[in-house]
Amino acid sequence: MLVFAISDKGGTGRSVTSSNIVYRRALQGSDVCYLDFDFGSPTAGAIFSVSSVARGTTQGGMHRYFEGRIADPHRIDIWAETDREGLRAKPPGAGQMVLFPGDEGGGEFSTVSEEMLLRCVRLFTRLEEEFDLCLVDLSAGRSFAAQMALAATARLPGVPFRWLVFHRWTRQHIIAAHGLVQGRQGLLAAGVDHGHDGETLADHIRFVRTAVLEPDAAELEGLRETQKAWLNECDRELRELARRYGVGRTSMLGKIPLDPVLQWREQLISDEDVLSSQIANAETVAAFDDLAKKIVDDSAWEAL
Amino acid sequence: MLVMGEVRTGLLQNSGEIPESLCQGVLGLLSGERVRTSRRPIVYAVSPDQLTGVDCRLASASRARVRGVGTVLSRASVTGGRVLQGSSHIQVARAESDHRLSWSHYLARPGVIEVFGKVRVPDLADGFADSGGWNDCLDLGSVGERFMDVVQASPLLDRKAPFRSARTRLRWVAVAEEPGREGPGIRFTLGRDRVRTLRLVLPDGFTPDVVDFCEDLALHDWLLTTLLVIVERARVGTATRAEVTAKLAPAVDHLLHLWMPAARLDDDFAPLWEALERRPGFTRQWQSLVARVRDQVAINTLALLREAGGW
Ligand SMILES: Nc1ncnc2c1ncn2[C@@H]1O[C@H](COP(=O)(O)OP(=O)(O)O)[C@@H](O)[C@H]1O
Ligand SMILES: [Mg+2]
Repeated sequence: MLVFAISDKGGTGRSVTSSNIVYRRALQGSDVCYLDFDFGSPTAGAIFSVSSVARGTTQGGMHRYFEGRIADPHRIDIWAETDREGLRAKPPGAGQMVLFPGDEGGGEFSTVSEEMLLRCVRLFTRLEEEFDLCLVDLSAGRSFAAQMALAATARLPGVPFRWLVFHRWTRQHIIAAHGLVQGRQGLLAAGVDHGHDGETLADHIRFVRTAVLEPDAAELEGLRETQKAWLNECDRELRELARRYGVGRTSMLGKIPLDPVLQWREQLISDEDVLSSQIANAETVAAFDDLAKKIVDDSAWEAL
Repeated sequence: MLVMGEVRTGLLQNSGEIPESLCQGVLGLLSGERVRTSRRPIVYAVSPDQLTGVDCRLASASRARVRGVGTVLSRASVTGGRVLQGSSHIQVARAESDHRLSWSHYLARPGVIEVFGKVRVPDLADGFADSGGWNDCLDLGSVGERFMDVVQASPLLDRKAPFRSARTRLRWVAVAEEPGREGPGIRFTLGRDRVRTLRLVLPDGFTPDVVDFCEDLALHDWLLTTLLVIVERARVGTATRAEVTAKLAPAVDHLLHLWMPAARLDDDFAPLWEALERRPGFTRQWQSLVARVRDQVAINTLALLREAGGW
């Protein structure tokens, strides 16, 4: 299955959340890969702690593959090549976890040629043979990478795909996420242009809220009653706004709580970070774990 | 003499194995006359030979710039209606002239690449054998893999493969026997990223049967590699019996019956297979894995019967 991760704005937590989902899915026993299609700022290597490709690879990554300069993009076995000691051994029963990094100094494309599209179709077809889940991290907004993903999936009727739209839990982000899907030149309109059926495509899109601070979170314990009441009211208004914009509970696949570790550093959260060093919150890992299951759970994707 | 090739092997993207007639259909997507098939001892279908013209650099261990012009010979095949292979090879020859000739010259010698200037066979052979990261050199694997892609994209396949599996790459190099060395020589090496290399020393020179042999070896290496992954993932002894059996089931349904080393090969190749059976011992490892799979399934069946109160 192909899963496309997109967001209207940069800095929403799309890459960090996607990486953690991929990691959780691998721990759950699936063969997974992560494709960095954020050609302008390929940072996935840093999140997976593979320092040799922290800012993209110099050995021929996604960008050069699409340019047709290489036949096989650089692939990295994360279990073997991560710098984080605690991740280095693949636990028994866990699946493969492979990163296809972007190129250092790659840059966004300014057009999608037919050749690029064919390369994309070929790549997806091959990866689908090998991996249960291929997560494609697109850049923010209406990019050529997103156009290419829509066009390629329209040509691959046998390959299941899903879209995750990441947004933060604020007024502007809710409206922006709605616009990215429903707006002019949004995903649905562009998808229909590329030959998708609009309704079917809409059923394959879900939202993910990132870095959410619940009004009843432990972090807010010390607040005054008036502050709590105010936060509750804000949250109620946001929920109402989200519902009106079609970004509400029914079209949401999951939400990830604000986590202190992720606030400070883009990284995978391991069980060790929760259990032994206790720097990360158990709720965060539970949310990643849940999302990793729901991505492939058909009942979470029934038509709305 | 120097012949080099690469075989890529993967699972045909269909829920079940496909019958011979469908093999004809999917391989018929490649241009050419007709698909050849044989039925015994296992259904095997192979596409017509495909020619790809190339004018490019060849990898060399010394990193010397070696230019080659000619054609790559490729084909795709399906074994047991289940395993797909894309195979390409070239014979390297010294160019007679010092400049490129018209394509008709090269087309008349299918599968021959002519190299300019003086080259040493071991330099090219070693260069090709570990040409993994060389992006600007002739990549025989990619040439063959394109034909696999065409087959996998066939509308006759449902794309619902019973399990995920990676394609393997077997890179092979065959040279003539040197005076003073006895008999056929063979060396098989497992590399990183599912790359394997095979070195052959042939007393009787190159015949197309050599390609069959390499494809047969690649097929069995893929079977073994794939079964090893399935068994590892099943977490025998840790996961519940039902989980283990569910993970092993695809192997029983789709792989176990395909093991038939050297079944389609000329008797001349028996010694080469025998050498591989001694070391690394393909069939020994395969049989022990198969026994493990069967035992697990049997134990689970017994447990189910007992639960059902039958015992
Ligand atoms: N759940 C979270 N809690 C706190 N901070 C987060 C969370 N998720 C992401 N972040 C932080 O937000 C920032 C942006 O995340 P990133 O994944 O790089 O965004 P994007 O890929 O959308 O541009 C990073 O510093 C990241 O660590
Ligand atoms: Mg990012």
